[in-house]
Amino acid sequence: MKSIGRKLIPLDKNDFKNLTLNKLVKKKMSEEKNSYEGSISSSYKNKELLKSILVLGVISTVIISMAIAGTFLSWWITPIEWMYLMFIIVYGVCGAIILIVYIYNSAYARNFTYKISENHIIIKHGVLTKIVATIPYSRIQNINIVNGVFDRMFKTFTVKIETAGSSAAAASAQKGIVRPEGYIPGLKDPYIIEKKIKEMMTKYSAVPSGLEDKIFKPEELAFDNFISYILSKMREGEKLMTSITELREKANISAAALAEKVGVPLQTINYLAEGRYNPSLALAYKIAEVLQCKIEDLFKLV
Amino acid sequence: MKFKKKIASRIKQFREELELPQLELAKLVGVSRQTIYYLERGSYNPSLTISFKISEILKKPINDIFYQEPVIKDILEGKSLAELREIAEIAGINLEKLASLSEIDDEELTKEFREDTLIKIALGLGVDFKELFEKEVEN
Repeated sequence: MKSIGRKLIPLDKNDFKNLTLNKLVKKKMSEEKNSYEGSISSSYKNKELLKSILVLGVISTVIISMAIAGTFLSWWITPIEWMYLMFIIVYGVCGAIILIVYIYNSAYARNFTYKISENHIIIKHGVLTKIVATIPYSRIQNINIVNGVFDRMFKTFTVKIETAGSSAAAASAQKGIVRPEGYIPGLKDPYIIEKKIKEMMTKYSAVPSGLEDKIFKPEELAFDNFISYILSKMREGEKLMTSITELREKANISAAALAEKVGVPLQTINYLAEGRYNPSLALAYKIAEVLQCKIEDLFKLV
Repeated sequence: MKFKKKIASRIKQFREELELPQLELAKLVGVSRQTIYYLERGSYNPSLTISFKISEILKKPINDIFYQEPVIKDILEGKSLAELREIAEIAGINLEKLASLSEIDDEELTKEFREDTLIKIALGLGVDFKELFEKEVEN
């Protein structure tokens, strides 16, 4: 007789391991929860549509009025059939351009997402070329909220996050030629973003790079350097004692083999053994690892 | 196969326990404050004499203050969950296994991961393989 019903398959040990979520993944998930995500409102495409209609409307009107004016002032004669043809071509081309721009902008608005996470702001945008811009908080200089004429018509805002970039990019960005890296258009409520960014900046970012110099006052720095100098002079009498040779012989490793394992020239090991060289901590750790002992056993400061 | 490691420190934690400002510690050790700042950030490999001095002042053994941390741990922590998923997909492993890289030791690394998987992970992270892992020297 055949057994009916499901056969129980015992879980593999590895399956269990995967069931309990790893610490890193858990941490990432909580980070994901804390972060703020959003996209831009569809008013953006309407705003851009109005802009393009205005611009192309002006251009086509100028072209056609020039043709009419030219005929009236008898600079040239435009036959009436040509006039109709011109009307159709100019308005047709303008209409096509407006349509393409509208389609492009609605795709742009649909693809635009931003995310304010614990470490940085991530802005994803682009229709043909996809761009993912990551802005770490330490590089943000200021946040500007722009509300232009068209923005006001559609009740949207543009948030510009100015960053410390290359000088050329910064100069052109100041003149308004290049958009800043952090450019988020078509926002209904920009103050949420501003608040969130500021919150994240105070909550998570450490001292921004470069700031450690600014905290220092010049007289403090001078004093600090003076003290360091005196102390270093005092420390010159100190000597680093080492028992590297004994430990090496105990572990039955030749100096050459040790040098190879640690990845330094043999001479370095010899200098170390003679106490003529102050190694870096990383090197000391490597030697301690090979000889299987503590750093304190290996070296002593006398 | 071994993890490439860098020196990380708990100076900040111990310093705050003793309520010792950065500048004071710097003066006691005889280095500038920037040095302490970089040491706390783990972006500086100190000389042994400085390490001894710090361990003397903080009254903790060197092993407690400075510890070796795989470089990959730092990089994995800097990635978002979506990016980690992508990398796991590139390497052909699941997310939990990729994340376990931040916890396991050298021995487990050799057991759990094949070299080609590690190469793919490095590729996904956009980092050179040699910056994350090193091969052991044969005797």
